[in-house]
Amino acid sequence: MIEALLQTLLNGAATGGVYALVALGYTLVFSVLGVINFALGALFSLGGYLTYLLMGGAISANGALPGWGLPLALPFPLALLLAAALTGLASLVVESVAFAPLRRRNAEPLLYLITSLGAGLALVNLLQMLMGAEGYAFPAGALAGLPAAVVVGGARIRSVQVLLLAVCAAAVLALTLWLEHSRSGRALRAVAEDATTARLLGINSDAMLRLAFLVSGGLAGLGGGLIGVSISLPGPYVGIGYGLKGLAVLVLGGLGSVPGAIAGGLLMGLAEALVPAEASGWRDALAFAILFAVLLLRPNGLLGRRLVEKV
Amino acid sequence: MLEFPSAIAGSSRQDRRERGALRLASLLAATVGALAILGQQAEPATKPVAPLGAPDSALTIGAVIALTGNANLYGQDQRQGLDLARRWADALPLAAGDPPRRPLRLQLEDGGSDEATAIAAFNLLIKQGVLALIGPTLSQQAFAADPIAQRRGVPVVAPANTARGIPQIGHFISRVSAQSSVIAPLSIAEALRRDPQVKRVAVIYAQDDAYSTAETLIFQKTLKARGLAPVTVQRTQLADNDFQIPITAALQLQPELVVISVQAVAGGNLIRQLRELGYRGQIVVGNGLNTPNIFPICQRWCDGILIAQAYSPELNTPINRTFLQLFRDSNPGQSPPQITAQAWSAYQVLFEAVQRLQRRGGFDGLTLGQARAALMDELLAGRYDTPLGPIHFQKDGELVQGSFYVAEVRMDPGGRTGRFALVSTDTATAPPGASPPAR
Repeated sequence: MIEALLQTLLNGAATGGVYALVALGYTLVFSVLGVINFALGALFSLGGYLTYLLMGGAISANGALPGWGLPLALPFPLALLLAAALTGLASLVVESVAFAPLRRRNAEPLLYLITSLGAGLALVNLLQMLMGAEGYAFPAGALAGLPAAVVVGGARIRSVQVLLLAVCAAAVLALTLWLEHSRSGRALRAVAEDATTARLLGINSDAMLRLAFLVSGGLAGLGGGLIGVSISLPGPYVGIGYGLKGLAVLVLGGLGSVPGAIAGGLLMGLAEALVPAEASGWRDALAFAILFAVLLLRPNGLLGRRLVEKV
Repeated sequence: MLEFPSAIAGSSRQDRRERGALRLASLLAATVGALAILGQQAEPATKPVAPLGAPDSALTIGAVIALTGNANLYGQDQRQGLDLARRWADALPLAAGDPPRRPLRLQLEDGGSDEATAIAAFNLLIKQGVLALIGPTLSQQAFAADPIAQRRGVPVVAPANTARGIPQIGHFISRVSAQSSVIAPLSIAEALRRDPQVKRVAVIYAQDDAYSTAETLIFQKTLKARGLAPVTVQRTQLADNDFQIPITAALQLQPELVVISVQAVAGGNLIRQLRELGYRGQIVVGNGLNTPNIFPICQRWCDGILIAQAYSPELNTPINRTFLQLFRDSNPGQSPPQITAQAWSAYQVLFEAVQRLQRRGGFDGLTLGQARAALMDELLAGRYDTPLGPIHFQKDGELVQGSFYVAEVRMDPGGRTGRFALVSTDTATAPPGASPPAR
């Protein structure tokens, strides 16, 4: 009984860890710009495909260049980190295409949603054109040296889930330390608090904004690579579902709250894992019902601050 | 005094606005009317079929298959089957004294993996004047798109829809894919033959997919008939790929047999995760995994799964040998999957029905709409020797097929490729009233 509960909790934590990564990606951009970057799901997909290609994977028959692959085959950890970095750069491109022109015109926040959604759809379709729509599985030896599953406290869990949980935890910890203790992290928080005051204090808010996009994209890319090695890449739309879950987690945890995104991700993952077997097909519905119930009680999310409009 | 000119000016502006609005409304009405007339004239069903020998006498067969989305793995296999069948038909020699054949053109359209894209593709091809349609890929899509073809009187041959009730959508709907109730029980029987002591069975299926829900009902009915009640029934969703949670729940009940009805990519992932989590018992999978495209996904973990099939490469008939040869010319060392053979068969039955109709002068003086209706009658009346074996249709368009098979997946040592190895053959008895009317 204890083993079963432990197994369920570990499953939920691993899934929740990925949700938290995506939610943190949203949180960073929301904190400094006050808008949601709807292209994040597409960047998640991009991260998965980049990891696959960097590991020596080839494009399949329905892609633009069938059989083509990069002339290198990096080990998974290296490929994952490099793919996350490249996805971060792609996120900067999204910023310059979908956000910067509107920012220069002081556009309505709603317009950012539309342009970022458009950029995300364009990216997903580009992936489909280049890679084809078929599923891609990472090479069987991607996690060479690791057993298929490990036993933790009597509970059996896939090694890749443990890895996923560990990497997510490490990423969240690194992000928190960076935001709290580094000069650039503190500058980012200052811009998030009040961009005008931060500018008056000599902080380059545009640079901080780009930094937020870079890190946000990197987190999404990291999530995509981890999910790719865990469950393969079922198609270019793989990131859209995670993007939506991340969005729900963002709201659940509280808009703009880093601890909220982490707590929300874990709560969402655990809620899904604890759904009884008989109702397993209704997992998403129950998870969103919990979200609804929490928001009824705490409209600003679990750890969100009450927004006070100054007049 | 000062207001008067202004009032006149105001009135004049008002008149101008009203006249402008009237002109705009008239223009819009005229445009709508013209479009309606043009649309009526463009309705292809009312146009006569070009006589044989005319500059464009080729008739078009439309194929709506999943080239994108979750079901694209099936679409790739189907596209290959259709291409091979078209090449085979185009290259068939004419016997001395035979009248010339009616040329056919194959037009592929992506039906995606969802209902909306399949409906759009059906509408597009029907509007473009196809004689008949092949597709769509998924049963779920067929329930949405087939009624459109039925209303417009366009014959449809489903190459892979196995859910109950597809041909019963209407007179113009038929299929060359045996329904789940016919083939699904065979793999359960094989699993229980191998291990008669099995008592604990776990069932997993995608609850938001017509094919999966239809098939799991057959599986569960078969298990019940054998005195086995599932210890758990885990429901997933089409978009799911992480199955750790339902698998964990199932494995806690220590099943000795796991029966799965999901689509291909999800199925590959499910099997892999099931094995990684330590399950070593038998796995029976449904028709959704009847494609070698699952091998790169579940890799070495696919080894040993049991699956019932409507096609065997080992069928030794002239048409199957031709099919195998053409397939292997394009895919050296590989055997064609069931879904490719079914797609070939869908094209073949339409091709043969068209040529029979042509030989009897059946298209002379017919409009496209009349030709479609005549083709449907001809299609249902015929008997066909296909790579699936001899087949024909019941009056409602349901398939009657002689033999079915059970295969076991055997993966190569590298774990990236494998094959469906024939385990047993079941020769079905044709249901009562299955014979077509004599012609």
